[in-house]
Amino acid sequence: MEPKPWPFPFRPKDGLSLSEALPDRSLFILVAMMSFLAALTLTGATGARTLSTRWAGGAAQLLTIQVSEPDQPLSGASKSDKTASQSRAEIVQADLATLPAGTQVHRLTQEELARLLTPWLGDAGKTALPLPAVIEVRLAEGHEAPADLEQTLNAHVPGTVVEHNAEWSSRLRALAESLMACAALALVTVGGIATMITALATRAGLSTRRDIIEILHGLGATDSYIAGRFASRTGGLALGGGLLGTLLAMAPLLLLFRMAAPFAASTLQAATPAMPDWRTLPDLLPGDMLAGLAALPCVAAFIGWTTTQIMVRIWLRRMP
Amino acid sequence: MIRLSNVSWRRERKASTPVLSNLSFSVPQGGFRWLLGPSGAGKTSLLSLLHVENLPSDGTLCLLDKDVTAHTPRAVLVRLRQRIGMVHQDFRLMPDLSVADNVALPLRLQHRPEDKITDEVHAILKWVGLGNQLNVRASRLSGGEQQRTAIARAIVHRPGLILADEPTNALEEPQAHKLLDMFSELSSMGTTVIVATHNEALVRRLPRPALTLERGRLVQDGA
Ligand SMILES: Nc1ncnc2c1ncn2[C@@H]1O[C@H](COP(=O)(O)OP(=O)(O)O)[C@@H](O)[C@H]1O
Ligand SMILES: [Mg+2]
Repeated sequence: MEPKPWPFPFRPKDGLSLSEALPDRSLFILVAMMSFLAALTLTGATGARTLSTRWAGGAAQLLTIQVSEPDQPLSGASKSDKTASQSRAEIVQADLATLPAGTQVHRLTQEELARLLTPWLGDAGKTALPLPAVIEVRLAEGHEAPADLEQTLNAHVPGTVVEHNAEWSSRLRALAESLMACAALALVTVGGIATMITALATRAGLSTRRDIIEILHGLGATDSYIAGRFASRTGGLALGGGLLGTLLAMAPLLLLFRMAAPFAASTLQAATPAMPDWRTLPDLLPGDMLAGLAALPCVAAFIGWTTTQIMVRIWLRRMP
Repeated sequence: MIRLSNVSWRRERKASTPVLSNLSFSVPQGGFRWLLGPSGAGKTSLLSLLHVENLPSDGTLCLLDKDVTAHTPRAVLVRLRQRIGMVHQDFRLMPDLSVADNVALPLRLQHRPEDKITDEVHAILKWVGLGNQLNVRASRLSGGEQQRTAIARAIVHRPGLILADEPTNALEEPQAHKLLDMFSELSSMGTTVIVATHNEALVRRLPRPALTLERGRLVQDGA
C-alpha cells in the first residue's frame, strides 16, 4: 500500500497541530451562556440608570407658576412705569425671559386650563370663578431655577406662587438611586459569577488535558510555550463564546429598549406613547452600554487567557 | 555521559522510605546499559530522574555534562530534555494527533524547518513499519503500533541520550530484535542508551553491562 501523501495532516496555522488536542466545546458553550446573562444584566442596569436619571432630572427642572388676577394691570405701580400697560401675567412672563437660555416658558391657554380643571370643577370653561394664570417653566438640562425666583417675582407682581417640584423630585431621586444600587449589585454579582464560571470552565477543560501538558513538558517544551498555546486556545474559545452570547442577547435587548423608549422621554410634550421605529433604535441605545457590550467578549477572552496562563504555569511549576 | 553519586529519591518530600536510595554509577557517552530488576524495584523511577521529570532528593546527578539540581535554571533543564529521547512504558502519545504529528513534535519544538521534518518523520516511520499509517490518529493504533510510534518519537531528533522503559513489551519478536539492533547501532555511533526490561531472552541476545535494582538499591552497577 502506498503511503498517504504527507504533510497532509500538518496544519500550518498551528505550529504543533495541537488545536485538536486542546480543550474545547464545553468551555465555549458555558462562556456563551454567561455572556448572554451578563449582557442582559448590563442592559438592565443601563436601562435602569437611564430611566431614573431622566425622571429625577426632569422633575427638578420643572416649575409651575401661578399668577392670580392675571389680566389685571399691576396695581399700585407708578403710572410712568413702562409696565403700566402690561397685565400681571405678562410682567411675570417678561421676568421669566431672563432665565437661562433654553428655558421653555409656556402659559397654559384657556382650553388647556379648562381641560386640567374639568375633573374637579366640571365644565370650568363656563364658571365665573376667577382663574389664575398657570405658567409651566421647563429649564434646560443642567440648569436649576434661582432659589430666590419666587421672591423676585413677588416683588414685581405680588401674589405670584412658584411651585417647585422639589419634593416630588427628591422622592424620584431616592427611587432612582435605589434602583441603580440594585442594578449595580446585580451587575457585580453576575460579573463575579461569570468570572468564576469562566475560570472554572477553563480549569475543567484544562484538567482533562493535563496529560498533554506533561507530555509536552517531557518533550522539552518551555513553560511559556505550553502556557501560551493553551491560553491562546482557551482565550479564543472564550472570545467566540462571548461573542455568541452577547449577540444572542441583542435580540431581547433591542426589544426591551424599544418598549422602554417612550418612558425614557424627558418632557411631557416630547413623550409619545408610540414605540420608535426599529431603524432609529441604535441612536436610542446609550453609547456606554454599547461599549460595555462590545467589551464583554474581550473580558471573557481575557479571563480565559489569564486563568489558563496561571493554571498551566502552576502545574508546570510542580515539575522540574 | 551520566554520573550519579549517592542519589536518593523520595516521592514526597517528607516520605520516610525513599523509592531510590544511594545510587552511584556512571555511564560513558555512547555506552549501553540494561536496567534490570523485579517489578517495583524502581526502574521507572530511575528513568524519571534521568529524563529530568523528577529531581534527586539527595546526591548529585550529572547528565550530558550538565549538573541537575534544584538550582539548575529551568531553561537548562528544558534544553536537557530536548536532548533526551524517552520511550515511556505507557507510550504517552497525544491521542488526538496523527502518528506523523506525534513523531514530529520533538522536531517542531526545536523549530526545525518543516520540509526537513517531513523527510525525517517519513523516514523514521517507514523504518518502524508505520510508513502507511502516517495520518492515523494515535488513539486508533494497536498497542504495538503505539509503542513503535513512541520509539520513533524518541529517536527522530537524534538525542544524545535514549531512555526506554520496557520498549519491547507490546512488540513481536522480530520487531523487538530490530529495535535492539538499532539501539546497539545508535550507541556505537555515540548515543548513550539505557533500556529497562524484564525480557531475559532479549538481554541474552545483546550482552551488555547491566544496572540491576532491588527495592530501590543498586545491586549491580554495570561497570
Ligand atoms: N504513582 C505511584 N504512586 C506511588 N507509588 C508508586 C507509584 N508508581 C510506583 N510506585 C511505587 O514506587 C516503587 C518503584 O516503582 P517503579 O519505579 O515503577 O518500579 P519498576 O519500574 O521497577 O517496576 C514501587 O514500590 C511502586 O510500588
Ligand atoms: Mg516500571
